Amino acid sequence: MALKQISSNKCFGGLQKVFEHDSVELNCKMKFAVYLPPKAETGKCPALYWLSGLTCTEQNFISKSGYHQSASEHGLVVIAPDTSPRGCNIKGEDESWDFGTGAGFYVDATEDPWKTNYRMYSYVTEELPQLINANFPVDPQRMSIFGHSMGGHGALICALKNPGKYKSVSAFAPICNPVLCPWGKKAFSGYLGTDQSKWKAYDATHLVKSYPGSQLDILIDQGKDDQFLLDGQLLPDNFIAACTEKKIPVVFRLQEASIRKL
Amino acid sequence: MEEESGEELGLDRSTPKDFHFYHMDLYDSEDRLHLFPEENTRMRKVVQAEMANESRGAGDGKAQRDLQEEVDELVHLYGLEDDHELGDEFVDENIPRTGVSEYPPYMMKRRDPAREQRDWRLSGEAAEAEDLGFGGWGSAGQCQDLREAYRYTHGRASEEYECYVIPEEEDEEEAADVFCVTCKTPIRAFQKVFDEHKEHEVIPLNEALESAKDEIHKNMYKLEKQIIEMENFANHLEEVFITVEDAVAMADRLGKFLKTKTDVEISAQPEFEDQTLDFSDVEQLMGSINTIPAPSAPVINPQVPNSATGSSVRVCWSLYSDDTVESYQLSYRPVQDSSPGTDQAEFTVTVKETYCSVTNLVPNTQYEFWVTAHNRAGPSPSSERAVYMTAPSPPIIKTKEIRSCEEAVLICWESGNLNPVDSYTVELTQAESPEASGVTESVVGIPTCESVVQLQPGRSYIIYVRALNMGGPSVRSEPATVHTIGSYFRLNKDTCHPWLTISEDGLTAVRSERRTPARELSPSDTHFTRCVAVMGNLIPVRGHHYWEVEVDEHLDYRVGVAFADVRKQEDLGANCLSWCMRHTFASSRHKYEFLHNRTTPDIRITVPPKKIGILLDYEHSKLSFFNVDLSQHLYTFSCQLHEFVHPCFSLEKPGCLKVHNGISMPKHVTFY
Repeated sequence: MALKQISSNKCFGGLQKVFEHDSVELNCKMKFAVYLPPKAETGKCPALYWLSGLTCTEQNFISKSGYHQSASEHGLVVIAPDTSPRGCNIKGEDESWDFGTGAGFYVDATEDPWKTNYRMYSYVTEELPQLINANFPVDPQRMSIFGHSMGGHGALICALKNPGKYKSVSAFAPICNPVLCPWGKKAFSGYLGTDQSKWKAYDATHLVKSYPGSQLDILIDQGKDDQFLLDGQLLPDNFIAACTEKKIPVVFRLQEASIRKL
Repeated sequence: MEEESGEELGLDRSTPKDFHFYHMDLYDSEDRLHLFPEENTRMRKVVQAEMANESRGAGDGKAQRDLQEEVDELVHLYGLEDDHELGDEFVDENIPRTGVSEYPPYMMKRRDPAREQRDWRLSGEAAEAEDLGFGGWGSAGQCQDLREAYRYTHGRASEEYECYVIPEEEDEEEAADVFCVTCKTPIRAFQKVFDEHKEHEVIPLNEALESAKDEIHKNMYKLEKQIIEMENFANHLEEVFITVEDAVAMADRLGKFLKTKTDVEISAQPEFEDQTLDFSDVEQLMGSINTIPAPSAPVINPQVPNSATGSSVRVCWSLYSDDTVESYQLSYRPVQDSSPGTDQAEFTVTVKETYCSVTNLVPNTQYEFWVTAHNRAGPSPSSERAVYMTAPSPPIIKTKEIRSCEEAVLICWESGNLNPVDSYTVELTQAESPEASGVTESVVGIPTCESVVQLQPGRSYIIYVRALNMGGPSVRSEPATVHTIGSYFRLNKDTCHPWLTISEDGLTAVRSERRTPARELSPSDTHFTRCVAVMGNLIPVRGHHYWEVEVDEHLDYRVGVAFADVRKQEDLGANCLSWCMRHTFASSRHKYEFLHNRTTPDIRITVPPKKIGILLDYEHSKLSFFNVDLSQHLYTFSCQLHEFVHPCFSLEKPGCLKVHNGISMPKHVTFY
């Protein structure tokens, strides 16, 4: 598939680019951001996939996070896709900020009218890596994933559903147990229907319980004063408890500040 | 004559007795033929010239010049200078080269034959002027005069030879009767009447003969006198020349002669005459003339550096004379605090050579040595005393206290000697190929019993230590092995809390159930008092260090680092001088804290580590903890490490923890 470069900017010795392409999974044009560190000029680099949270596009991370210096120093190719399909003209996709546009929840929808386009899980785990591997100097064996909030949830489930695919997974204030929080209930019921067994397939806490146990290294940072934490949207304790029981190595850092709103 | 006196006045030096002037008075003025007017004027000129020319003969002084003047005068006097040929033939080294005109003393000059003949043929005035001037004195003139005289008397001279030809009998028939004084030729009487001789005076022949004879005798006498006097003159001249030339050499000898002059006369005091003379010394001397004397004292050499062993020294000496020596006796004793040089020897060795290896000595000890030479006549005086020192005993490396990291090792040792040594040397070789002779690196001049040595990472080294003193180095100590993989340290018993027991190998800390009574500990004590902890002795080298601690899942512990002067009355992590990871297990829950200055982040760890990897990175000011089995990073402190820190371990409940050393950093660790 043809990649169309939308922009390219020099940053910390590397290049921050944005491309557009026609996505097969999502049946629309999709943009994604790619940062190529200086090391990419001479060799293949590990690939780090960033999944943004609710309401974000491919721009939020590259504008606000300040990750470029670290990526440049460590020689990492960082890929940041959009959070949902765009311009699909599906009725109701823009009605709320936590469902539909900008709220793909990294699932493959099974319900109409979403199932044609809202296949973010497959896009992130299949189509996008293939595209990246074919067009950029990345090492296909070295891939990791991280994200924030909804993206944190996405990172966790991608890693848990694909043992061995990712070398590491980190999450900032992830939605750890969506089946039990309001966001998750809303999204899953819309995309997946009412059968809650289908929901568990996209719930990190549940996935951990049945994780076959391939080596995984999970790091979670959570702001103590995060409102959504306090509102019970994130539920990290459930996840930690599940991981503790299953002996999935997780280091969970409860930070003083709130890491919110990327 | 006035001329002579003139010349006399000109010469004003003291004259040797024999050296007198050869006056013109030699010849009676009456006898004097008028042949000297030329000489007179000539001589006068000479004298004037000589007087004027006072620069001649510089160097030897007036005497030389005067001498020369006299010689010149005589030369001129006798017309020697006319004959330049004379000078060519004459060679006499004794004459000082000051430009004295040479003169031939006795030479029979061979005159030009042509001239001879010419002379002979000359008649009248010409002949007179030439010959009768006594131009050539001595031989030539003499001959000439005699010839003349003879010619007067009779006979012809040979035209070819310089000899007189006695006319033969047959010539008498034509012998002359009378003598013409004017022509000075015998003529026959009748010739008188001829025009030639008409006016001339004539005397009878026998009268002429007599007067000629007289003339001859007189002249001969004078000439003989001349000869004698000239001979004398020449002798004196020679003497003077010799004296002058050898003056310097003679002066030396004269000087020596004068110095060695001894008093011959010693007047004996009357009282000495009564003294009985003791001849025993004389007898002894007399006897010793036939026997050899005792030798002179040998010279003992100072100790050659590095020539001693721990139990022996090699003593050398020399004999700086031609004395006969049969043996040497070497004496020695250990140097003690009592006054040296006066005590008796403790040991004595007899040798024939001028060296001796003395054994059975005590290491690191000074000994006084002195030597005497012996022959039949007896012993020599003793040499000076020299102090020799045995090498020290080897040190003993404290292998249990070796600390190392990837880049260096800290070794300490016991001296191995009671008394101080000068310094220590550390020797190291790489242990990879012990058979092959590898390079031995040495660190010399170490003043104390410990040393930090730089090493290459990832190798094994064998280390020896030597002690060094004046006598030389000790043998090598027993070796110690060092591996530059990871860091090596031991738990320091001097720091551990009384309730902790450290294992023999210094790597395990045990807290028993039973509480041993706490002993009295002063505040300045190095032991932990509040925290049941122990500190490890990490090598004080920056860079990075990695070690692992094995713990039980249910163990309450603290592991981390602290500065050496951390307050031992406080818990680890409770102050700003320590950092640690703390685990407590309560209500089936694992709780983890990362403490520094009493604060900790809120951290949950889902899988409790059984082996904790600790990375201390001075360069990046970081202290990191890992779950070794999972290669999982747990936490990293950013810490300002302005000084060296040491690993710390604390057991908050009975149990044990074990330290693992010598582990190179796992790869996952390097990312942090």
